[in-house]
Amino acid sequence: MKIAALRLHNVKRFSGRGVAIEGIGDGVNVLCAANEFGKSTSFEALHALFFQPHSGTPGEVQRLRPYSGGNPLVEADIETPEGRFRITKQYYGGRSARVVDLADGRLVAQADEAESFIAGLIKGGTAGPAGLLWVRQGVTGIERRSRSEEDSEKQVRASLLESVQGEVEAVTGGRRMAEIMAATESELSELVTPTGRPKAGGRYALAIDERNRLAETEKRLGEAVLALRDALDRRASGLKRLAELDQAEDRQERRRAVEAAQAAFDAAKAQSEKLKTAEAELKLAHERRDAAGRELTAFRAALDTAETLRGRLREAGQKRDEALGRRRDTAGAIERARADADAAETAEREARDLLARLDAALRARAAAERLAGLKERLDAAEALRAAIEEAEAGLATERISAESVEALQALEIEIATLRAVAEAARPSVAVAYHGDAAVRVSMDGVALAGGEERGYDGQTELAVPGIATITLRSGRAAPGDSGLARAVEKRRALLTSMGVEDLAGARLRQVRAQQAEAELAAMRGRLSLLAPQGLAGLRREIAEQDALGAGGADKGDLPEDPAGAETALADAEARRNAARGALRAAEPLRTGADEAFVAAETALAALTAENAQIEAVLGPEAGRGARRQALAEALDGLDRALMQAQAQADGLRAGNVDLDSAAAALRRARSVEEAADKEIGALRETIAGLNAEIRTHSDEAVEEDWREAGEALSAARARVEAFEKEVAVLQRLAAALDSARGRARDLYLKPVMAELKPLLGLLFDDVSISFDDRTLLPQTIRRGGQEEDVERLSGGMREQLSVLTRLAFARLLARDGRPAPVILDDALVYSDDDRIEKMFDALHRQAMGQEGSQEAGQQIIVFSCRQRAFQRLGGNILHMTDWQP
Amino acid sequence: MFRFIHTSDLHLGKRFGNFAGDLPSRLREARHAVLGRLAGHARAQGAAAVLLAGDTFDTETPAADVRRQALAEMAHHASIRWVLLPGNHDSLQAAQLWDALKGEAPQNVILAREAQPIPLAGDAVLLPAPCTARRPGRDLTEWMDGAATPEGALRIGLAHGAIRSFSEDAGASDVIAPDRARRAGLDYLALGDWHGAVEVDARTRYCGTPEPDRFKHERPGEALLVDIAGAGAPPAVTPLPTASFAWRTLDLHLFDGDDPAPAVAALLPEPRRRRQTLARVVATGRSRLAGRAALAAAIEAAAPDFAFLELDDSGLATECEVEDLDEIDRGGALREAADALAAEAGDDTLPAAEREIARAALGRLYSHARATTP
Repeated sequence: MKIAALRLHNVKRFSGRGVAIEGIGDGVNVLCAANEFGKSTSFEALHALFFQPHSGTPGEVQRLRPYSGGNPLVEADIETPEGRFRITKQYYGGRSARVVDLADGRLVAQADEAESFIAGLIKGGTAGPAGLLWVRQGVTGIERRSRSEEDSEKQVRASLLESVQGEVEAVTGGRRMAEIMAATESELSELVTPTGRPKAGGRYALAIDERNRLAETEKRLGEAVLALRDALDRRASGLKRLAELDQAEDRQERRRAVEAAQAAFDAAKAQSEKLKTAEAELKLAHERRDAAGRELTAFRAALDTAETLRGRLREAGQKRDEALGRRRDTAGAIERARADADAAETAEREARDLLARLDAALRARAAAERLAGLKERLDAAEALRAAIEEAEAGLATERISAESVEALQALEIEIATLRAVAEAARPSVAVAYHGDAAVRVSMDGVALAGGEERGYDGQTELAVPGIATITLRSGRAAPGDSGLARAVEKRRALLTSMGVEDLAGARLRQVRAQQAEAELAAMRGRLSLLAPQGLAGLRREIAEQDALGAGGADKGDLPEDPAGAETALADAEARRNAARGALRAAEPLRTGADEAFVAAETALAALTAENAQIEAVLGPEAGRGARRQALAEALDGLDRALMQAQAQADGLRAGNVDLDSAAAALRRARSVEEAADKEIGALRETIAGLNAEIRTHSDEAVEEDWREAGEALSAARARVEAFEKEVAVLQRLAAALDSARGRARDLYLKPVMAELKPLLGLLFDDVSISFDDRTLLPQTIRRGGQEEDVERLSGGMREQLSVLTRLAFARLLARDGRPAPVILDDALVYSDDDRIEKMFDALHRQAMGQEGSQEAGQQIIVFSCRQRAFQRLGGNILHMTDWQP
Repeated sequence: MFRFIHTSDLHLGKRFGNFAGDLPSRLREARHAVLGRLAGHARAQGAAAVLLAGDTFDTETPAADVRRQALAEMAHHASIRWVLLPGNHDSLQAAQLWDALKGEAPQNVILAREAQPIPLAGDAVLLPAPCTARRPGRDLTEWMDGAATPEGALRIGLAHGAIRSFSEDAGASDVIAPDRARRAGLDYLALGDWHGAVEVDARTRYCGTPEPDRFKHERPGEALLVDIAGAGAPPAVTPLPTASFAWRTLDLHLFDGDDPAPAVAALLPEPRRRRQTLARVVATGRSRLAGRAALAAAIEAAAPDFAFLELDDSGLATECEVEDLDEIDRGGALREAADALAAEAGDDTLPAAEREIARAALGRLYSHARATTP
């Protein structure tokens, strides 16, 4: 497009009149006029014609209006490849826009269509630069600018960029783009960091923090609510279980079960104790009964034996009596001596009888003690033990070997035999007094009875009072009785060794020892019976039983009855004395009588010994019946006791309950109760804990807090989402703006820079400017080999750069087949003449078109007040003329 | 003849944490104040009892002040019998709450904690179905079928829960038989749980909450005055207004070219009522960029009048004409950016969220561009 003419009416200072600039041609056109001549008005009117819709009245249009009012009219003739057109716009009253084809005067378009036509002229599509390029005095764009934005370095650089880019910035959105981007960035930067993260302290970050905090709170409270609900549930089930467990009925039932089991167990235990006692008693009764039975049997046997012995003794006595009778005639003296010995024997027998009686008494007492109670059992056992020890001690001294006794007996018999023999061989004197004889002969001072035979040894004197003393000499030596003496000595030694005085004593000792042994054995047996587990055991038992209160039994001595026994023994001894007398009397019969005597005596002695033994067993004669009776009765009693004990034991056994089962039942009942009690306790404890927990939570109204937090959280989430969307929107907008500007730069700005470089070289041979490839901002200026800061560019250089940029842009448009006029309004006010000339060269070079290209030259319209300086510019000189539409 | 007030879902103590400022306190206070209004209606209408069909309290562990102040208010209206039924929000599982209530309840407050007939005034017998748990998992009203009442007695059921799957809490395995009233020979079945009033049949009703707490239901908060002339007689039901706050969802349908400001003004309630109104304007239809901006401005301007006012314009499609884009810029990179965003906003192949972002970005560019118009 090229502009051929500009006309305006009622614009600014041209109130009610008009001016026209005709004949604008190709190449450089110059309108030089003094200030206030109207060239800036022309410039603004031309700008409005192309850029202000006729229907609007924005600031730029308002500024066109004269102070006195009126309707500004602007008209321009243009040439385009499609033809020549006249564009006319009137603002305010009678506002209109028209396009007329100058070739045929046809109205091509009006109103909005006319606007569209104009837009098509100045726009190479929305992305392209305007079809007109403008440079104005002191400023680089048409837009307003504020003072403050010159402040920062960045702003300096930005405005410099704009000064360089000029109209190019219109392509990239220009100042509005920069402002919108700045506003967007500002809004975005309040929310996020350049890397897109929420900016610390910003509303977005705070909203996120708030949301996170609420989420945390909500989660925590939710957990607390869950815990509370769980506690409520647990308490409910606990209470239910407790109610089940704690029902009085069930509790009593458990109690009753325990009590019943306890009673059963106690009963079983008592029963078992009783059974044990009964069995022990049974065993004792058995043993006692058996002992009593044995004793009775032994007693009966002894009685039978005694009976037999009595007969045999009688026979032996008779035999000896007979032998004695045969000897009596010859052995009267001996008989008396023997009677003396027998009397001694009798005395001893008394002692023995006494002992036997005492034994019997002891046994009776022992038996009585056995019958006593348990405490007496101990006394008995202890007494027994003492007695055993004593008996053992006694037995040690009493015990005589049977051989010694037998030897003694043999010696006794031998002595008797020897004595009898000696007696038979002695010389003897017998006096037969005449019936009327008054004197009595004495032998060795001892009167002789008539008929009495008295032996002597060696010599003896018979004194017959009043008559004579007669000496008798036997004429033989004293009988050699060394054999007898040896036998007597031997017997004495034997007796001494045995500690007894005679055979009977020995027999008695033997019997006694046997009895003592038997007694000892019985005592031991009884002891073991009485105290099967020893004394200690018995004591324990006693101690156990002591509590039961066993009384002591009285210990009365059994009444003694020695008389009977003594009499019996005395009789026996008397008979023996008689037998001895008979024996001595029969001495003259010597051999036969002696043999018979010896035989009878021997038999008698044997029988007597045997009898003594039996007697010892039987005890005194008088007590025997009673004793036998007592023994039988005791046996009967023990039999009954045994049966009773057996019956009791059987009864107990039959009624016995299994103690283990009873204990197990008791344990089970107890465990049921304990488990229930334990669970009740645990449940109460748990419930108490839960109560506290629940009370705490419910007092805190945690659930309300939770719901509140949940609601607040959803609100906070919505807020964060809103911020997220806001950020996304801003980022999207920023990205859209950035990419649009970037695209514009790539499409136009870079090529413009390429065009600019040779122009710069034309103007500044000593200056080079480097541009940042990315931002396209001037980066450094090298002048005379020195690097300078870009902000130090002089005003002159700025305006020169501004002009050159537009020239470069125009070259670009021209190369694209869309040539656009470059319009300069006092664009070079700061430049010195030297620079201006160089600038002129550049303008002309531009106006000539590029070398070798087919395009028409560039149209450049210069408005300037510097008439003198611009005279040298050359080109087509324009003039303003009055014009009336 | 028995006359009573049927209400439910007071949700006393609800905190409204989703609102800001003093609105939560006001909403919370309003719930408590409903008790006084219910008592006033009961006295004015000569109703002997107020039946609260569950969810009297919002939580199982309401703060002590909520509980005590509610009981104090009920005690103050001593001539009225208040029957409190455990609902799903304040079920019997909240033993602490109900034990505390038992200890504190005045004489005229009856706690329907057991499914047993409760004799009310005259010959009316109440058959309550208290919620045993938050989710009992069975129809708790079943026992009413076999519940024995004296001959000629009025049988009034009281229950809380869903009869269909429209429970406030989703997941309804424990649905009340809709024909329970017929099955159990009830003269009236008072139901709670649904926050809007619903007539299930002539004898079965949800009364709705007396003080709404959400935008879900359009009906204003009310309680039901139920009048039963005698056994078998159809109940006469009259709604009574009880709410102090109105929750309104206002539909605004715009056509391209409509000026939204007058439309909004016509839609909003009269200014004095706005203080007690929470409103959500749901915009649908189509609008230009300018209209959209005007709509937002109109809502923003009106918002201070209201307890709460918000605009939901997600259903409003944006018409973007060339003039709109021209207002941004006739050319250059700004116009390029605007064209790109407009194309993206209208590209049906993109996800809706992305289109919405692009649309919002274009709107933002529009407002920025207008602010920087030379």
